[in-house]
Amino acid sequence: MKYIGFFIALAITVALAIAVSMPLGPVPPLAPLLDPNHGFWQNSYSEDELAKDELELSNLTSPVTVVYDENLIPHIFAENEEDLYRAQGYVTAKHRLWQMEFQTMAAAGRISEIVGPIAIELDRMTRRKGLGYGAELGLKYLQENDPEILKLAEAYADGVNQYIDQLSPGQVPVEYKILNYRPEHWTTYKSILLLKYMSDMLVGDRDLEYSNLRKILGQEMLDKLYPDFPVDNDPVIESEHLWDFTPLSVTKPDSIPFPNDLLVIDPLPQPEEGTGSNNWAVSGSKTKSGNPILANDPHLSLNLPSLWYSMQLSTPNHSVKGATLPGALGVISGFNENIAWGVTNATKDARDWYKITFQDNQRKAYRYGDEWRPTTFRIEEIKVKGENPYLDTVVYTHYGPVVYDRTFKSERQDVNFALKWTVHEGSNEQRTFIMMNKGKNHEDYNKALDNYSAPAQNFVLASKSGDIAMRIQGKFPLKWKEQGKFFMDGADPRFEWQGYIPNEQNASTLNPERGFVSSANQHPVDPSYPYYVFDNSYEHYRNRRLNNRLRELSDITTDDMKALQFDDYYLHAAEALPVMIGLLGTSFDSYPQAKKYLDELKSWDFFADPNQKAPTLFYIWWDKAYDQIWKKWSEFGVPVVEPNNYQTVRLLQITPQDPVFDVDKTDVIETASDHVKIGFQAMVKAMKEWEEKEGDYSWANYKRTSVQHLVPQFAPFSVTNIYTGGGRGILNATSERHGASWRMVVEMGDEIKAFGVYPGGQSGNPGSKFYSNFIPIWANGEYLNFNLRSKEDSEGVLFQTILK
Amino acid sequence: MRFILFILVVIGIVVFLNPFFPFWVIMIVIGLLSALLGLSGIQGFLAGGLGYGLAWLGQALFISASTGSDLPNRMGELMGLGSGMTIVGLTAIIGFFLGSFSGLTGSLLRNLFRKKPDNLYRG
Repeated sequence: MKYIGFFIALAITVALAIAVSMPLGPVPPLAPLLDPNHGFWQNSYSEDELAKDELELSNLTSPVTVVYDENLIPHIFAENEEDLYRAQGYVTAKHRLWQMEFQTMAAAGRISEIVGPIAIELDRMTRRKGLGYGAELGLKYLQENDPEILKLAEAYADGVNQYIDQLSPGQVPVEYKILNYRPEHWTTYKSILLLKYMSDMLVGDRDLEYSNLRKILGQEMLDKLYPDFPVDNDPVIESEHLWDFTPLSVTKPDSIPFPNDLLVIDPLPQPEEGTGSNNWAVSGSKTKSGNPILANDPHLSLNLPSLWYSMQLSTPNHSVKGATLPGALGVISGFNENIAWGVTNATKDARDWYKITFQDNQRKAYRYGDEWRPTTFRIEEIKVKGENPYLDTVVYTHYGPVVYDRTFKSERQDVNFALKWTVHEGSNEQRTFIMMNKGKNHEDYNKALDNYSAPAQNFVLASKSGDIAMRIQGKFPLKWKEQGKFFMDGADPRFEWQGYIPNEQNASTLNPERGFVSSANQHPVDPSYPYYVFDNSYEHYRNRRLNNRLRELSDITTDDMKALQFDDYYLHAAEALPVMIGLLGTSFDSYPQAKKYLDELKSWDFFADPNQKAPTLFYIWWDKAYDQIWKKWSEFGVPVVEPNNYQTVRLLQITPQDPVFDVDKTDVIETASDHVKIGFQAMVKAMKEWEEKEGDYSWANYKRTSVQHLVPQFAPFSVTNIYTGGGRGILNATSERHGASWRMVVEMGDEIKAFGVYPGGQSGNPGSKFYSNFIPIWANGEYLNFNLRSKEDSEGVLFQTILK
Repeated sequence: MRFILFILVVIGIVVFLNPFFPFWVIMIVIGLLSALLGLSGIQGFLAGGLGYGLAWLGQALFISASTGSDLPNRMGELMGLGSGMTIVGLTAIIGFFLGSFSGLTGSLLRNLFRKKPDNLYRG
């Protein structure tokens, strides 16, 4: 009897111990998670409460001092670059380890390892795009060509790994505890992969949609609704710029037999609308102090932990400060004692698609001219949490991976498309940033940029010596007109890219007469640029507002530049609304509700400030009217893109009777006015519902900007309903989920004055007081002091740690 | 008296050993101590449970109060349990059961050895 009692008790105890150590469905093991000594409770401590005067970091040649300012921004003082990047890896991992690893897991198509079979299709997509393949080539490039950068990248990885090895169970980031896995070692490959991931985030193409449109609308209509250049082109490089080089010749084939299929395949995910950026620099001639001022605000998905992590990196030879990407070496957007630089996305249809004709079902060869070329197979093994690995065979051609084939996203068994993308070529972006961090002048900036391939960026520069410059840098293929705008025939060698535009012929400008340089993702150049330039995603509003303001302003101060980054002027509304009100006429004036909205719209100053109500009304009205106008596009039944806002407004304004407005199915002939009226009615209806349900329809309350944790299901780790203005197509590009992910303003005088802020916090730990503490500052358009610090500076020090 | 003493000993073990060892090591230590001190089954159960539960409760409350972090609330919401106080309670309850069954098993283990010699002599 006693034995039975004991064994029952023992069995219950063991069963209990096992039960609380095992995941129960999505619930992580309870005891390790709730144990106050090791579980999530330990993540309640903020970094300053865990501060140590000294930490061990092996392989340093001399001790490294890390001074944290009151915002937990580390200022790393090392004796040489190898020590510096080792310490950068260590310190970054200390605050952002989970995020660094999660982002590269996503880039490698390894999310299924963490979350299970739900992510298999996502991982297949990522791998089929060849990001991992590109990163392997990038690593090979470093191994063969650049031992110096390779050594620094390895030092960075070693710093990260020493931190991982020292990590006590309690200090493991809380996301690992909840998702029940542990960090693995960092590698140079992962740093390269991260930069490839940025390309993926920023680069899209609409070749599929344009192929369909060309077949449905015909070339003439396509050119009319989707012109390569807008009428009000205000390009990145000023229109009056003269090109002082002899361009390489590009031979256009005599006849161009584009494949002529209607294609029903799922397009690759595109960069979110609203992904973009602003940067500019004004020369001393336009500023109050006589010093150049530079500003940069990249717009990306608003996430926690933030994509950016601020740092100062110093050796006896240079001191650089700004925004880093956790996982990559150096500062990406920032300044040093001599130059400041910033980036905006400069996409130029970097991805092209080739239709592949396989010899047979074996897919071992494909037609190319008169021959059959052999393919190679790459087997992607996707590990899946709780299940057997998933094996995906991807066929590679000389163009690149065959993304779409009979096993993936294609409804037709005979349709195979290979992706050609500069990301699949060995490149050395990391060198660009390491050289830029140490750059002293315009020449150094150019030398640094010569190493840069993708994702193409508009690099702005301001130097202490007074130069301002802009260069659109990337590895751009030489294309004949319309090459790559549509899907191409991979069997026809005439569709091949004919080489690349030489770096020195990439569009650039230095100290233009107008006294400023700027970019906001618009068309890079005037049509006079001798190479073919095309992308569907060019911006039409932020650029014009920015340039108009920069032309007007004089005696500029850093405060003016901050105000311009936070500028809420809604140019699209300013151009569209008067036209829409005109087309609406007086037909709704007798309805009190409609009249109320109309009056609010009519008295609007076109600023999308958070407390304004008219932006909400306009936004919905435009949205409904736009949908109404292009509704027939969605009835084509294949993926297409609709004409952009700018072209749509022009049609409404200039040719309101255009046949394009007619709805084929009805007996009457519709005009622009009909669509605008239907849109208005739909807006009144939507607003009525909103007012009944939510009450207040001021812009911030309607827009509901949120900064979301990288795992969307972790909603309590997100910050929602942020009171702030702006929106898509507005300089302050803060929409629901996108916006200025980093704002920086730097004045390059004898004493450098720098300001920066981003919507997040230095800590990646949701339990830390430094996790989201910048968000209210950012939402108000305020900034943190980002001046360079010396090691001895004792003002505003949170704590200091010596690594040795 | 031994009951109170055992509770205090368990609290001490959790506070001083738990930071260095996972929870199941603490369970074994509680079981062995319970056997050593020779508490009755019910005493071992309650003392082990109260000791472990109170220690975790105290630690959770201490961390929460001293850091002022919002993490317990966020975790409560994430786990669908509402506020941080529910998480504090859950932590204490899990601690209680881990401790109580360890204590019970320990005292029953001692019972086995106490009776064993009797049987031998009789046989």
